[in-house]
Amino acid sequence: MPGTQVIMTFPLTPTSHSLAEYRARGGYATLEKVLRTLQPSEVTKEIVASGLLGHGGAAFPVGRKWSVVKLDDGVPHYLCANADEGEPGTFKDRWILEHDPHLLLESMLIASYAIGVRHAFVYIRGEFDLPYRRLAEAVEEAYAAGYFGTGILGTGFACDVVIYRGAGSYVCGEASGLITSIEGRKPYPRNRPPRLTVHGLFQKPTVVNNVETLSNITVVMRMGAAAFRRIGTPKSPGTQLVSISGHVNRPGVYEVEYGYPLAKLLYDDCGGIQEARTLKALIPGGISTKVLNAIDCEPLTYDHASFAKAGSSLGSGGMIVIAEGTCMVRLLQVMLRFYHHESCGQCTPCREGMGWMHRIIDRIVDGRGVPEDIERLYAISRANDGTTICGMGDAAGYATVGILDKFRDEFEEYIATGHSRYHGRLEVEAHA
Amino acid sequence: MPDFFVNGQPVHAEPGQTVMQAALAAGHFIPYFCWHPHLSVAGNCRVCMVEVEETGDKGGGGSWMEIACNMPVTEGMRVLTDSDAVRKRRKEILQFITLNHPVDCGICDKAGECTLQDYHYAYNGAPSASRDAKVHATKFFPLSSRITLDNERCILCSRCVRFTREVSKSHALGIQHRGDHSLIRPAEGARFDEDPYSDNVIDLCPVGALLSRSFLYQARVWYLQPTPSVCPGCERGCTVQLWHRKPEWRLQALDARRNTRIERVTPLENPAVNGPWICNKGRDLARLFERERATQAMLKGRAVTLDEALAAARALIAAARRPVALVSSWGSNEELAAFQAALGARLASFVKADRQPEPGERVADDLLIRPDKNPNGAAARALFGAVPAAFPPDTDLVLAWGEGADFGSLPRGAKTILLGAYLAPKNGHADVFVPISIQTERAGHYTNFAGVVSAFSPCFAKPEGVAHAADVFAALGVSKAVIA
Repeated sequence: MPGTQVIMTFPLTPTSHSLAEYRARGGYATLEKVLRTLQPSEVTKEIVASGLLGHGGAAFPVGRKWSVVKLDDGVPHYLCANADEGEPGTFKDRWILEHDPHLLLESMLIASYAIGVRHAFVYIRGEFDLPYRRLAEAVEEAYAAGYFGTGILGTGFACDVVIYRGAGSYVCGEASGLITSIEGRKPYPRNRPPRLTVHGLFQKPTVVNNVETLSNITVVMRMGAAAFRRIGTPKSPGTQLVSISGHVNRPGVYEVEYGYPLAKLLYDDCGGIQEARTLKALIPGGISTKVLNAIDCEPLTYDHASFAKAGSSLGSGGMIVIAEGTCMVRLLQVMLRFYHHESCGQCTPCREGMGWMHRIIDRIVDGRGVPEDIERLYAISRANDGTTICGMGDAAGYATVGILDKFRDEFEEYIATGHSRYHGRLEVEAHA
Repeated sequence: MPDFFVNGQPVHAEPGQTVMQAALAAGHFIPYFCWHPHLSVAGNCRVCMVEVEETGDKGGGGSWMEIACNMPVTEGMRVLTDSDAVRKRRKEILQFITLNHPVDCGICDKAGECTLQDYHYAYNGAPSASRDAKVHATKFFPLSSRITLDNERCILCSRCVRFTREVSKSHALGIQHRGDHSLIRPAEGARFDEDPYSDNVIDLCPVGALLSRSFLYQARVWYLQPTPSVCPGCERGCTVQLWHRKPEWRLQALDARRNTRIERVTPLENPAVNGPWICNKGRDLARLFERERATQAMLKGRAVTLDEALAAARALIAAARRPVALVSSWGSNEELAAFQAALGARLASFVKADRQPEPGERVADDLLIRPDKNPNGAAARALFGAVPAAFPPDTDLVLAWGEGADFGSLPRGAKTILLGAYLAPKNGHADVFVPISIQTERAGHYTNFAGVVSAFSPCFAKPEGVAHAADVFAALGVSKAVIA
C-alpha cells in the first residue's frame, strides 16, 4: 500500500458503510470531542494549522477558505459538499460515498460547527446511484441517532443536511455553478468578485468543499494538526485518494501518501502497464491537468511541488495511464468532444472556442487537417486562458496545450498523412 | 484626490462603482455587449476586458486581465483600456463572436446601428479565422407576435432575458440548451406576447438577432432620421424618437406616403419620466397617427374653405347665449394657453378625455403605464378644472376640440363646432367642422401626470387644408374682441 492511510483504513464488507460499523471504528467520537471541548474558532485554527489542502483540483488551503467566513456577521452561512464528481478520470469521492458516507457526514458536522452553519448541503451528481442510496441511508441513520437536527449530542449545536441531486452537467461541479444549481437555476458559474465565501448560496457566505477534502476534517480533528502534518510532505500534508484508470493492470482507488514515488505507485501498487507495454503518457489529475510523458514521470513523487515542477498538477487525483501505441490525436478528440459537450455556453471564449476546437480535431481525425490547425488550436487555447468566467475554458486550453506540446510530431504526421501513426484506437490490443 | 487611473489619467469614482461605470462617466470608452447601465451585470461577452497593473508593494510590472463591468474600483488601481494585451484579447473575443455569425448585414435591419458591426470595424476587421463550415441555427423564430429571433446572429449576451426578469418582470424568456447550442427561447408557461414592454428587447439587442416584425425590411436605418417627441399614449408622457425618412432621401417613384410615414418609434432616454424604456403601445404610435385624415372644412357636411368655416364658427360663438367648450386633453400646453387666452372667458370650458383604454390594453402598472390614456390631461385640468363636462339645459352651442366628444347627450337644438384631425362620421353632422393638425405636424409641450414638461418637434408639414388648433383659436378670439 502506498504509504500511510487515513481514510481507507478498514476492510470492505457488505455492511462496512453502516452507522454501527462506523461507530465501531470510532466514528462520531471526534464530533463529540469537538462539540464538548472546542470553540468553533479553535476548530478552524486547527484546520489552518494542519495545512490541509483542497482535494477537488485547485489545492486551495482549506483553513484559508474557512477563515474568510466571519462567525459573528449575523447572517446565515452555508456549507456545500461538492459530490458532483465529474472530472473525467476521477472516481475517488464515489469511494467515500459508497463505503464511508458517515465519515463525510461527521466531517460536515464538524465543519458546520466551525463556520457557523445551520443548513448544509450535499450536491451529488445525478449519475451516482449506489453512492446516492448509501448516502441517503447514512443521512437517515444519522438523523435517527441524533447526529443531525437540534440539540446534537445534548449540546446547543443544531445542523441539518440536505442532499441535492444534480442532473448531469460538468459545470455543476464548479463551486459557483453548483450553488446556482442548488438555488434552482441554470448552473451558470458566477463572476468573481464577489467570492462565494462573501456572497454564495442565496447571497450568503458559503463554503464549498470537495467530499474528500471534507472527509479529511474528521481525520485532522481526530489525530490533531501536528500528527496530521507528519503524514505526507511539509508542503502537502496528508494523503490523497487517487483514482487510477487507463492502461494499467490494477486500476482503482488508491490512498496515496503525499511524497510517495510515482513509479512505485504505477509499477508496484498498480501492477504496471497492461500487456507489459511501456508508459507513453500520464494524465495526472483529471483531463484538465497537463499531460506528462514517460520521461517527465520518472523522477516524480506524488505531491503538489513535484508535479508543479514538471509543469502539471495533481488536480483531482484522477490519474489516467496511457500506454505506448495510443493515438494522442484520438485522445485529444475525445477530450475536446467532452469539453464541447459540457461548455455551459455562458461566456464567449469557451462557448465558441470549445465547438471550434472540436470541429478542428474532428477534421484532423477525418484526415482533412491542414498544418495551421495546430497553431489554431494553440491560439484558441490561449484565448481561453484567463478570459472565462469559470476555470473550464482554461482547463480545456491546458489539456490541449499539454498534449500538443508533448506530442506535436504525432499531430503533424496525422495531418500530413491523413491517418494515425498507430491503429487509431484508445484501447491496448492484446499481444497476439 | 483621484480614486484610480485609466490609461494613466486620474479618474474619480463613486463608492461601489465598477471600472466600467467610472471610466464611461469620465469619458474613457470601454466596449461592451452584455453590460447595460439599467440591467444587472452578466459578464458573459468578455469584450470589456481591461488590463489591471499591479500596484503597491507587488508593483513588479505585472498585470492581469479583468472584465471592466464586474470589477469594483479600488483606490489607486491602474487600468489600461487600450494596451496591446487588451487589443489582442478584444480581437480574439470578436473572432469568437463572429465565428459562426452569418455576416448577412446586407439584409439585416440592425446594419448601420449594430454594435457588433461597429466593434468589428474598430477592433477586429479580419474575416472569420475558421476553415470549417459555419454552424447554422434557427432563423425567423417567432418569439412573439411582435418579435422575430435570428439565432445565427444572436451572441447570447442575455440582455433580453435579464430585461424580462428585472424590468418587465414577465420572466418570459430564457436560454435553452447549453454550450454553442444555447438558444434564446420563450420560457415554459410564460407568454412573451402578454409582456407590454416586450419590444424594448429589440433596442437592447446589441446585434440583429431580435427584430421587430412590423419594422422588418421596411427601411434601412441610414435613410431615416429621429425626431424627438412625446408619446401621447398615456399621461406618463414618455419621451420617444419618431423615425421617418430623411428629406434628402425622399422617395419619388414609390408610394409617396412612405415619405410621411413613421417607420418606427424608439425610446428617448429620460431619467425623469421613462428611463430608457417605453411600452409596446408607444411603439405602435404610427397606428394612432396614420389613420385617415380629415382635410376638408365643412358646414353640415358641405365642403367649404377654411376661412368660410372659421367665419361661420365666429358667427355661431357671437350669437350663442350659453356656449360650452370641451377642451382636448391632447392639446399641447401652447394650444391650451391659446384657447384660454382667446375663448376661455367666453365659453364654459370642461376637460374631455379624448381617448379611453382600448379593450385588452393594460390599464396601469407600476413601471410606466398610467390609467389616463391622454397625454396632457394634467395641464388641461390645471387651466380648466377637473369637473366632468355638464351641459346646462339651455346650452345652445358646443365647441368640441379633438376626439371623444359625445354629441348624443347634447341638449336639443344646440349648435356644434367640431375641431378634428381624423375622418369620422360625426364630422359631417357638425354645424362647423374645422380640420386640425396632429402632434407630428407641430411643435409643443406636454405636462405629464407628475408635472414634468416634455417637448415634441414636428416630423412632417401639415396637409393642405388643415389648420393648427392654436391658429383656429386665435382667429375665433379676434372675432370675439371685434364683436365685443
